[in-house]
Amino acid sequence: MANLVIDNVKKRYGDTEILKGINISIAAGEFLILVGPSGCGKSTLMNSIAGLEEVSEGSILIADQDVTHSSPKDRDIAMVFQSYALYPNMTVAQNISFGLEMRKVPKEERDVEVERVAELLQINHLLNRKPAQLSGGQRQRVAMGRALARRPQLYLFDEPLSNLDAKLRVEMRTEIKKLHKKLGTTIVYVTHDQVEAMTLADRIAVMRDGEVQQLGTPQEIYDNPANLFVAGFMGSPAMNFIPATVVTGDDGAMLELATPNKTLLPFPKHESLQPYLGKSLLLGLRPEMITEPQAHKEGQKYVTTTAIEVEVTEPMGADTMVITRINNAEVNCRSNPAYPADAGSVINMMFDTSKAVVFNPTTGERVDV
Amino acid sequence: MVGLFVFPCSDSFYSEVFIMKSQNSLRPTSVQRKPKQTLADWMPKIVMAPTFIVTVVCMYGYMVWTGILSFTSSRMLPSYNFVGFDQYERLFNNDRWIVALSNLGVFGGLFIVICLFLGVVLAIFLDQKIRAEGAIRTIYLYPMAISFIVTGTAWKWLLNPTNGLEKLVVDMGFEDFKFDWLINPDMVVYCLVIAAVWQASGFVMALFLAGLRGVDGDLIKAAHLDGASTFTTYRRIILPSLKPVFFSALVILSHIAIKSFDLVAALTNGGPGYSSDLPANFMYAHTFTRSQIGLGSASAMVMLGCVLAILVPYLYSELRGKRHE
Amino acid sequence: MSNQTIKQPSKVLNNVLRIALYTVLLTMAAIYLMPFVVMLLTSLKDVEEIRSGTLLSLPSTLGFESWQKAWSSACTGSSCEGISPYFLNSFQIVLPAVAISTLLGALNGYVISLWKFKGSDLFFAALLIGCFIPFQVILLPMARTLGWLGIANTTTGLVFVHVVYGVAFTTLFFRNFYQSIPEELVKAARLDGAGFFTIFYRIILPVSIPIIVVTVIWQFTQIWNDFLFGVAFSGFDTQPVTVALNNLVNTSFGGKEYNVDMAAAIIAALPTLAVYVLAGKYFVRGLTAGAVKG
Repeated sequence: MANLVIDNVKKRYGDTEILKGINISIAAGEFLILVGPSGCGKSTLMNSIAGLEEVSEGSILIADQDVTHSSPKDRDIAMVFQSYALYPNMTVAQNISFGLEMRKVPKEERDVEVERVAELLQINHLLNRKPAQLSGGQRQRVAMGRALARRPQLYLFDEPLSNLDAKLRVEMRTEIKKLHKKLGTTIVYVTHDQVEAMTLADRIAVMRDGEVQQLGTPQEIYDNPANLFVAGFMGSPAMNFIPATVVTGDDGAMLELATPNKTLLPFPKHESLQPYLGKSLLLGLRPEMITEPQAHKEGQKYVTTTAIEVEVTEPMGADTMVITRINNAEVNCRSNPAYPADAGSVINMMFDTSKAVVFNPTTGERVDV
Repeated sequence: MVGLFVFPCSDSFYSEVFIMKSQNSLRPTSVQRKPKQTLADWMPKIVMAPTFIVTVVCMYGYMVWTGILSFTSSRMLPSYNFVGFDQYERLFNNDRWIVALSNLGVFGGLFIVICLFLGVVLAIFLDQKIRAEGAIRTIYLYPMAISFIVTGTAWKWLLNPTNGLEKLVVDMGFEDFKFDWLINPDMVVYCLVIAAVWQASGFVMALFLAGLRGVDGDLIKAAHLDGASTFTTYRRIILPSLKPVFFSALVILSHIAIKSFDLVAALTNGGPGYSSDLPANFMYAHTFTRSQIGLGSASAMVMLGCVLAILVPYLYSELRGKRHE
Repeated sequence: MSNQTIKQPSKVLNNVLRIALYTVLLTMAAIYLMPFVVMLLTSLKDVEEIRSGTLLSLPSTLGFESWQKAWSSACTGSSCEGISPYFLNSFQIVLPAVAISTLLGALNGYVISLWKFKGSDLFFAALLIGCFIPFQVILLPMARTLGWLGIANTTTGLVFVHVVYGVAFTTLFFRNFYQSIPEELVKAARLDGAGFFTIFYRIILPVSIPIIVVTVIWQFTQIWNDFLFGVAFSGFDTQPVTVALNNLVNTSFGGKEYNVDMAAAIIAALPTLAVYVLAGKYFVRGLTAGAVKG
């Protein structure tokens, strides 16, 4: 396994800059996930790592070797594609061994390797079939098998699960995680599914407009988003952004919400709010931080109970989303299904601001750092 | 070796020099890899090169060449004695050319209209769950597999006034029946229309049938649920959705009409006199047998103009349509 | 397309309409068939029968003399060897021209669809226009070029011309077909270590059989049926069969022998008709593909 260094990589098509200086460095055996909206450059970055597209500037190092200008086949990389890209005229076994054949591995060794990979992915019974005779999930496995067979230094996964149905996707996700644990491979993985990103990644790189917005562990990204974009992108339902006015209260600078009775919320890093006194900021609060009043949290430092007006509720089974409107922003709250919350009624909810974050509404940057 | 595949005018030249330098200092091994990769990079272009050269020279180059010749006084051999628009002036003062052009108007117009009409009607009729549809379709389309020369030969025999269709009808009891279009200078152009329609209408039918089969079945169900009769459904829903097929057919048919040369050669050889000449035959005769290269070139350029007049709006609308999607 | 009507017209009316429909369709079929039937009947009669009978009267005896004459002794222009030598000429022109233009088209389509480079789409557009230009515009320059190359009036020259002006169509066919192949397939193969030709040969070509069949049939029909290039660029002994047929029909030594003309015409049409009958599905696909440019 090898490490990967992406050093100030830029990619231009004519005047448009698709990648604007990407810097990512991952250790051997690490699982990196690239997320971002479509058109953010994540596919271009993948192609650049693979050598399928030439970069305009910067360099790429795999296992400390500069491969910026090497051809794809010399980089020792395998890639799993969204469409699987299985060779339609070859059997599963031939698909898996094609890369080895191209590298002039003798027939006997190839057969052994195909056996090993088939064993690993439990596709032994499919080896003589053509891709057209396989189900979506089976194709996915074969595509992974093709990547595994060559034992490359680096694996690239380009939205590999997005063509599977929901159930199969969860299964394969677990499988990929297990494989990674077992083989300790270095993986770069593109997805737009945040659950995949959160569950699989050692680190996540959130990209937008050809730039890395934040690079960190899933928990860091979730708890400590660098800006409004990252905060809004990760998490489902998304983080609430509530316009709030900074006022002086009992605990220094506090955030004022226009709930039925005006609410003042305390904030851990209240010093950072001092410069914004009297101004409006965006309070970022995850839905699970606004709940029905819970006895065990009563009296904790950053917990405030206040009345809100219920606009609509969405029962999800395990919990119910209570939707309200504060300062003209829709706010999702995660409450216990047993807690009465009829549309139109006014109920008490508990705001926990211990993990709240605050953004500058014009720049989108965090202000509490 | 390295320099062999480096093209000094391209950007890659500079990056390549730079890479060679940087890699020389770091890892001399990767320098040997570089030329091979460059060859691989150029492979698609190398493969396309023959077609590219041939297209530039033998299509566009020759077009320009013929264009230049049309402004010269070339007769038996190309000469480059420029005479401005003289040849075009001669061309449009030439009675034979005027006949050829007006023949093209009559022939092309009728040929296109009749083919489109027959094609649409036959396609709709064949789309009514007809038994033996495959066999009937095969019969309608087989003339398209035949050369225009064979078609011309066959219809020359069928249309000949002494032993052909005329005699057939007379022997059936219609003693006064006359059918001498093939030797009548005023009517001979319609013989071309008959033979050409016979050959190409099945093809138009096949185009429309493919189009009809591609119409969304839900659309037709919806129209029926709205209370539309079969006739109304065709007129208001199905046929309007076949507009692209209609335009494709129109372009191809006009292209066939303008290029028509072999049919005339085989069926009438331009006669009687030059009453059934088409521009293609005029061009060939003047360029290759009558030693009037300048005049022939001018007529070829006019033909090209006709094709472009049809093609350019078509391609333009096609491309614009695609952009809107 | 379904043709269910919710408001069913009365059964009687419906039946009358169906009968009318079949009558029209079958009459048209008879009209389309008639010229070929007449050709066949005429070719089997002798000259006297042709004069006395009508187009559709049956021959009294089955005589194949006119076929024999058409094949081996009828006069075409200056020589009297029938059309057999020209029939073979046509094959000598068609086979290499079809093979080369198909191969070039496949490679071009492969590049244009899967190895795009700057300007490749523009070039394709330029090539497409080549499908439409009236060949009269290139006749004279091409005649001069063939002379310079020393292949005027030769089979090689005709093969060259047919390849040059056929490659636009073959490229179009393959390009449209390869357009449906995901680019990821090529990316995967490149990462697996395969090069330009290996990918073409091992992965792309094996899935191209249908389009190869369509292209070969299209090119075969086009080139076999060509007359313009044949008459402009061939010599006396390299004429394709279409040119020879036209000469035979227009040669008038003594009386007109319509039976020989018709036999020769059928012989000249046989190869393409055979292809049409044997592979009609692909033939139609080629026609419609050629029609739906781009």
